[in-house]
Amino acid sequence: MATVARPRVHTGPNIPEANIQLPSVETYGQVTDEIRRTLNPTKAWLAGLLLAIAALLIGLGAWMWQVYMGLGVAGYSPPVMWGVYIVTFVFWVGIGHAGTLISAILYLFRAGFRTTIYRCAEAMTVFAIMTAGLFPILHLGRPWKFFWLIPYPNWRLIWPQFKSPLVWDVFAILTYLTVSATFLYRGLLPDFAALRDSERNPLRKKIYGVLSFGWRNSDIEWRHFARAYLFLAAFSTPLVLSVHSTVSFDFAMANTPGWHATLFAPYFVAGAIFSGIGMVFTIIIPIRRWFNLKHYVTLNHLDAAAKLCLFTALIVATAYITEFFIGWYGGSEIEHSFWYNRVFGQWWWAAWIMLTCNTILPLSLFWQKLRRNTTWLFTLSLFINLGMWFERFVIFDPSLSHEFEPWQWTRYAPTYIDWAILLGSFGWFSMWFLLFIKNFPVVAIAEIKEIIPPPLRVAHAVEGIEVTGMHLEFEPETPGERD
Amino acid sequence: MTETSTPSGVRRREFLKILGATGAATAAIGCSTDRVDKLIPYLNNPDETVPMVSNFYASTCRECSASCGVLMETRDGRTFKLEGNPDHPLNRGALCARGQAAVQGLYNPDRYRGPRLRKGNALVPVKWDDAIKLLTEKLTQAQASGSASKAVFINRHESGSFPGFLDQWLAAFGMPPHLSHDALADHGAIDANRQSYGVAWPSLAFDAATLIVSFGADFLDTWGASVPQQLDFADARAKLTGAPRFVYVGPRRSLTGCNADTWIPCRPGTELAIVNALRGQGSLGDAAQASGASETALQALQQEIQRAKPSLLLASGMNGGGTALVSAVNDWNKSLGNVGVTVLPGKAVTSLEGISSDADVAAAIERMRSGDVPMVMVRGVNPVFTSPKSAKAAEAFAKVPFKVSFSSYPDETSELCDLVLPDHHPIEAWGDAQPVPGVITLQQPGMDPVYDTRQTADVLLALGKANAKAAAQFAAPNYMRLLIDHFPGGTAQFTAALQKGVGSGDLPRRAAPARAAQAPAAAPPSAGSGDFFLVVYPSASLGDGSGANKPWLQEFPDPVTKIFWQTWVEVNERTAQRLGIDSGDILRVESPNGVLELPAYVFMGIQADTVAIAFGQGHTAYGRYAANVGSNAGDLLPASFDTASGGFRWASTKVSIVKTGTFTQVVTVEGSSRQYNRGIALAMTVDELKAPPKEEAREKMPGDASHEYLPGLRSPVAADAQGAIQSSIKTKEMGMYDPKNWSQMAKRRWAMTIDLARCTGCQACVTACYAENNIPIVGAPYQQVHTAFLHGVPGGNVLKGREMNWIRLERYWEGGEDGGDFETRFVPMLCQHCGNAPCEPVCPVYATYHSPDGLNVQVYNRCVGTRYCSNNCPYKVRYFNWFGYGEPHRPQYAWPERMNWQLNPDVTVRGKGVMEKCSFCVQRIRESEHRAKAENREVRPDEFTTSCAQACPSKAITFGDAADNQWSVAQLAQDRRGYHVFQEQLNTFPAVVYLKKVNHPAPGSAPAGA
Repeated sequence: MATVARPRVHTGPNIPEANIQLPSVETYGQVTDEIRRTLNPTKAWLAGLLLAIAALLIGLGAWMWQVYMGLGVAGYSPPVMWGVYIVTFVFWVGIGHAGTLISAILYLFRAGFRTTIYRCAEAMTVFAIMTAGLFPILHLGRPWKFFWLIPYPNWRLIWPQFKSPLVWDVFAILTYLTVSATFLYRGLLPDFAALRDSERNPLRKKIYGVLSFGWRNSDIEWRHFARAYLFLAAFSTPLVLSVHSTVSFDFAMANTPGWHATLFAPYFVAGAIFSGIGMVFTIIIPIRRWFNLKHYVTLNHLDAAAKLCLFTALIVATAYITEFFIGWYGGSEIEHSFWYNRVFGQWWWAAWIMLTCNTILPLSLFWQKLRRNTTWLFTLSLFINLGMWFERFVIFDPSLSHEFEPWQWTRYAPTYIDWAILLGSFGWFSMWFLLFIKNFPVVAIAEIKEIIPPPLRVAHAVEGIEVTGMHLEFEPETPGERD
Repeated sequence: MTETSTPSGVRRREFLKILGATGAATAAIGCSTDRVDKLIPYLNNPDETVPMVSNFYASTCRECSASCGVLMETRDGRTFKLEGNPDHPLNRGALCARGQAAVQGLYNPDRYRGPRLRKGNALVPVKWDDAIKLLTEKLTQAQASGSASKAVFINRHESGSFPGFLDQWLAAFGMPPHLSHDALADHGAIDANRQSYGVAWPSLAFDAATLIVSFGADFLDTWGASVPQQLDFADARAKLTGAPRFVYVGPRRSLTGCNADTWIPCRPGTELAIVNALRGQGSLGDAAQASGASETALQALQQEIQRAKPSLLLASGMNGGGTALVSAVNDWNKSLGNVGVTVLPGKAVTSLEGISSDADVAAAIERMRSGDVPMVMVRGVNPVFTSPKSAKAAEAFAKVPFKVSFSSYPDETSELCDLVLPDHHPIEAWGDAQPVPGVITLQQPGMDPVYDTRQTADVLLALGKANAKAAAQFAAPNYMRLLIDHFPGGTAQFTAALQKGVGSGDLPRRAAPARAAQAPAAAPPSAGSGDFFLVVYPSASLGDGSGANKPWLQEFPDPVTKIFWQTWVEVNERTAQRLGIDSGDILRVESPNGVLELPAYVFMGIQADTVAIAFGQGHTAYGRYAANVGSNAGDLLPASFDTASGGFRWASTKVSIVKTGTFTQVVTVEGSSRQYNRGIALAMTVDELKAPPKEEAREKMPGDASHEYLPGLRSPVAADAQGAIQSSIKTKEMGMYDPKNWSQMAKRRWAMTIDLARCTGCQACVTACYAENNIPIVGAPYQQVHTAFLHGVPGGNVLKGREMNWIRLERYWEGGEDGGDFETRFVPMLCQHCGNAPCEPVCPVYATYHSPDGLNVQVYNRCVGTRYCSNNCPYKVRYFNWFGYGEPHRPQYAWPERMNWQLNPDVTVRGKGVMEKCSFCVQRIRESEHRAKAENREVRPDEFTTSCAQACPSKAITFGDAADNQWSVAQLAQDRRGYHVFQEQLNTFPAVVYLKKVNHPAPGSAPAGA
C-alpha cells in the first residue's frame, strides 16, 4: 500500500470543492472491484424486484379496468377533470429534473460533489420520465387515440393544435426523455468497457461489449468523450429549465384561478429540482449503505446536496409566499376566495401537508449536524416526496374545485383505482431502477477514477509531485451513521 | 381516356369515384368489428313516410289532467320527441318537463309487454283473447249476480269523451259510474271555484294585475294548469315596469314562492286566519300569532292589497285550508273587483271538470277493505302508492276477489291485480280532450304500439260486444270510429282538426259525480304530538309519483332544492342551527302514522317550525328507475280530507325530528348557493329600470352586453373561412372582433338571449335538451359503479358531479343572511359559445373549434378526452362521458332496450371518454339551412329555434342570428338589461346575452340585493 503524506486537516468553510475527495478509495483497481461487486444479485434485491413487479401489476390491472369501464372508476368529480394522474405526472416529471441538474448543470459549474451521485440521479431521471410519460396517456378518455397529439403527416391534413400546452408537453417530454437517456448512456460508455473487461460470463461480456461500442480507452476516445459530454451537458442545461416550464404552462396558460400565474415556470422548476433532490436522497442513502459505498458517496457529498436541497426549498417557499401574496394583493375576489379555500377552507389539510413538508421541515437543513445525519436526510426526503406530490395536488385540484362558477364548486376524492395506478407507477419506476442497479454501475467508475489520486510510484509519492487533492481521514462517526 | 371520350365510356373521374366508393365500402365492411347493419329501403313506402324526414303529428298530452297539446316528432315510424302544439289554447307551443318525458313512458323498458294473469304469486303472460274471455266471464257473472253494482272503476282523470264512454260501458254492465281520480288536483279550489264562479278552474289574467298574492297556490309547480299559468305569469312579468308585484304567503317557498318578490312565511293550515284578518274579519295580531307570520309584513300586505287595483289573489286548498280558504279568497277577489279582470271564469279551463274527490276514492278503498267490493278496475292511476299508508290501500285491494288493472306499467297497484290488460301509451292511442270551452283537442297515435298492448277503450268495446245484453250499444268497430262519429262536424271536420290537433266544438260533458260519501270529519291541522308541522308537496317533476319511472324526471333536479334521486326533508336554516343539523344528516321523522329516516336539507325557504318532504319517490315497484329510490312521504300522513271538498290534506299532521347520527350525502347539483357578487345572475329593481338609461355609465357596466359585441363575436376564423384573412383586422379598439367590418365575416352569428325577468326556473328546458340531444342519464341505480363506499346508491354518479345537463338552472340565493326575506335568482347556464373561447386553444387535437357562424363546435370523433377544455371553461358547461353511457354493452348504458328508440336520429350518441356540451342545437340550424337552400331561399328570421327555447313555458329563451336585425334575438340583445357572464373578468365574448331580472320591491322598502 502506498503511503501518502498526512494532509492538512481542513478547517475552512465546507465548500464543495474542498471536500469531494474519497480518502478511503485508493487505487483504480479498488474502484473497479468495489463497484463491480455491487452488481452481484442478492436475495433482497430479487425480493424488491418482485415486489416492484407486483405493484406494477396492480397498477396495470387497475388501468385495464379503467380502460374497460371508463374513466369514471377514478375519483374525478367534475369540474375537477384532472386528478391524481396529472398530479402524479407532474410529480414524476419533477423527480426527473434532479438528474439532469446534477449531471449537467453541476458538471458545468464544476461542482465536484456531483461525481458520486450523478449516475443514480441520471438513471432516476430517465426512469422518472418514462413513468411520467405514461400518465398523460392513461388519463385520456380514449387512450388508444393518444397518437393524435403527435404531429404526423396524414391524408386528413389534421394537425395537432399547436396553441395547446398539451402539445408542447408532448415535445418537451419526448425531448427530455431522448436527451437524458442519451446523456446517461454517454456517461456509461467507459464503465461498460470496464465491466466488459472484468466480466467472466461470456454472454454478459458480449452484451457489455456491444453496449460499450468497442471502447478501447484510447486518448482519442477520451478526447471525444469529454467533448461530447460537455456538449450534452450544455445541451441539457436549458432543458432542465424549459421542460418543467413547459409542463407548468399546462396550468399557467389556463384561466383557472390558482393556475393562471406568470410565476409558474420558475416555481415549477424550483419545485422540480427540490423534489428531485429529495428523491436522490431517498435512493442514494439506502444504496450507499446496502452496496457498501459509504466511502464513495461520502457525508460531504450528501451535505453539499442537502445545501442545494435547502436552497431550492427556500425558492419554493418564496414561490408559495408570492402566490399567497398575489392572491391577496391581486384584488380579484375570485382569486382571493379560491386562495382562502385552498389554505384555510376545504383543502386546508392538503395545503398544510404541503407547507409543512416543503418549507418547514427542510429548514432543519440549516443545521450541519442534520445535513450529515443520513437517517434524518432519508426521513426528510420521504417527507419531501410526499410534500411535493401534495404540492401538485394542492395546485391542481383545489383550483378546479373552486373556480369562477360557484354553482359548480365541488369536492374531490380519489378512488382505489387512482391509488392503485399511483402505486403501479412506483412499481414501474422501481422495477426499472432495480434492474438498472444490478446491471449497470450505480456510481460512475470512470469519473471516480478521475478524482482519486492517480497511481504513482511509491518513491515519488511524497516529494515533488502535487496530486490533485488532499486525502482526508474517513469522516468520524456521526449520529445516524451506522454500519 | 381523353376529354373527347364518349359519354358511354367510364371517364377518369367516374372511375375514381367508383374505385373510391368500392374501396371505402370494402374498407367499411372489413373494419366493422361488430355486426353488419342492414339498411333495407321500403318496398312500399307507408303513407307520409319519407325516410329520415320527420313528421309532426298533433296530439294531446296525458301526463297530467290539464290536456296540453303536443306535436309528436315521428320519423321512420318512431315517435321520438314531444313538442308543444303552438295552436293549442293552453300551452301555446310550450311543454313542461313531464309532458316531454312522456316518450320515456312510451319506451319504458319496464312496461308490460302484454296482458298478464295472476297464477299464484306471479303475473304470467297470457293471450289477449284469453284475457278478454276471462274478463267477459267475470263481468257476465257479476252482471247476473247483481254484484256488479258494487264494483269500482278508478280511472285517471281526463277530460274528453272517454269518461262518458266509460260510464256508459259501466252502466251497460250494471256498474256504478267510475271514479275520476287525480291525486294532485286541488279539490278545495275546484269546489270553491264551482261555488263562486260555477266553473272548476277560471283562467288567471296575471298581466292585468298590479299585485299578485298567492296563499300557498303553487301555480308554477303543479297547481292547476301550470303551463298556461306559467306562460301568462311570464308574460305579465315581461311587462317589466308595468309588471305585477308578487307576494307569496305560505309555509314553504316553492318554485312559485321563489318567483315572488316577497315571501311571508306562515304555519301550514293558518292561511285562512291570515286571509280573514287581512280582509278585516279578525285581528292581524291574532293571525300573526297563530300563523307565525310577521305582523308588520301582514300590515304592509294589507295596505298593498287595498291600494293595488286590480290585484289577483290566489289560494290553494291543499295544505289544509280546503274549500273554506279558497272560498274566502274568491269572495275577497269579488269584493276587490278582480273577478272578470284578473280572474276570468268566462275563460275557464275545463280539463278539471268531472273530477272525483279524494275522499270518494278513499271511501271506495275503505269499502274494499270491508270486503264489500267484488271487483275493482283501475286505469292510469296508482292508488296503492298515492293513498297515504294509513289508508291501507294495499290491504284493501287484497280483499277484492277480482282486480283488473289497465296500467301500462308494473306499479304498486297493478302488481296486486289478478288481471292486467295494459293500455296503450297515450302516444299510441286515440282520444280527445276539452281543455277550454269550445275547443276540442285530439289525441292520435304517433306510431304503432311498441308492445302487445291494447287501448282500454277498444278493450271495453270488445268486452261490450262479447256481452249479449250490451252488444247493441257497442257496435262501433273501434274507438277511433266512435270518436269520429261523435265529433262535431263528422269525418271532414275530424280530419281537419287532426291536422292541427285542435278543433272547435264541445264534447258532451260528464257531470261532476255526486259525492258518494261524506268525508270523515277532519282532524285539526296540528294533529300529532311532534314539534314540527309537516308539509308534503307534490314533486314538480314526479307529480303524484307517476313520473318516477321516467329517468329524465328522476334526473331532474328539484327546481328549488336541486336534489334528485332521493327523498329529503327540508329544515329551516335557523332551526337546523339550533338543533345542530347539517344538510345530509339523517333525521328520523316520526308522525302518528309512520316513521321515515331521511337526509336533511337545510333550507332558508321554510317556516321555522315546519318541515317539508316532496311526494313522488319511494316506489316499491314501478320499474328499475323508480323502485327503491327515496321514500314515500305519504307514509307519514293520515288519511285526512277536507270536509267540504273531500280533497286530501297534504299538511295535516305534526312530526318530531330526531338526528340519528348517521350521514349521507345529499344528491344535489348545487355547489354553492351564493354567487358572491360574481355577476352571474344579475337583477335590477323596477325603479332603476324606470330611470332613463345613462349611456356613458352603461359603457362601463360590468359584463355589459351592448349589441356591438355580438357581430364582433364572429371570430376571425370566420374571416379565414371566407378567404378574407388580411382585411378584417382593422379597428383598434375591438382588436380582431371588428363590428364595423361585417362584410368580411361570416354571414350569421348564432346567439341567444335569456330573459331572467321571464325565467321562472321550471327547468322544462333541461328536459327538452335531454330529449333533443340524446343526453344520457347517469344516476340510475344500475349505472352506479360499486365501490366500498357507494353500493349502487341512486344518484351516486351525481354525487361526483357527473350529471350531463347541457343546460342547467343555477339557483342563487340573494340576501337573507340575517334570517329575513331573501331573493331567488335562477339562471340557465349553458355553453356560452364564446367568441374568444377559452376551451378552444387548449384542445391539443382540434376537437373543439369555432365555426364561421359563431358556434363553438365539439367534434366527438376527434376528442381524445384530455378534458383540458373543461378545466379552462369558466362556465363549467362541458360534460364528460365518464362511462359508456352511450354504448349498449356497458352496464352504464343510459337507454336500455326500447328506451333507445327515443334517440334523436339527428344527433350522435356519444361513446365513453369524450367531452360533450351544448351545440346550440346545431342539427336544427343545419336542417333549417339545408331546407332553405333546397327551397332556394334565405333562412327566414325566427324560422326555427333550439329545443330549450321551443319548450320554455316562460318564453325566456330566444335564439337566432344576432347579425341580422330581423331576428328577435338581435333586437333583444340590445336591451338595456343585457349583460354577459364573466365577460368583464375573462374577455370571453359570450354569445349568450342575459337580460337582468327585474325585482319589484315592496313600496317604500330598500331594494334587496344588487
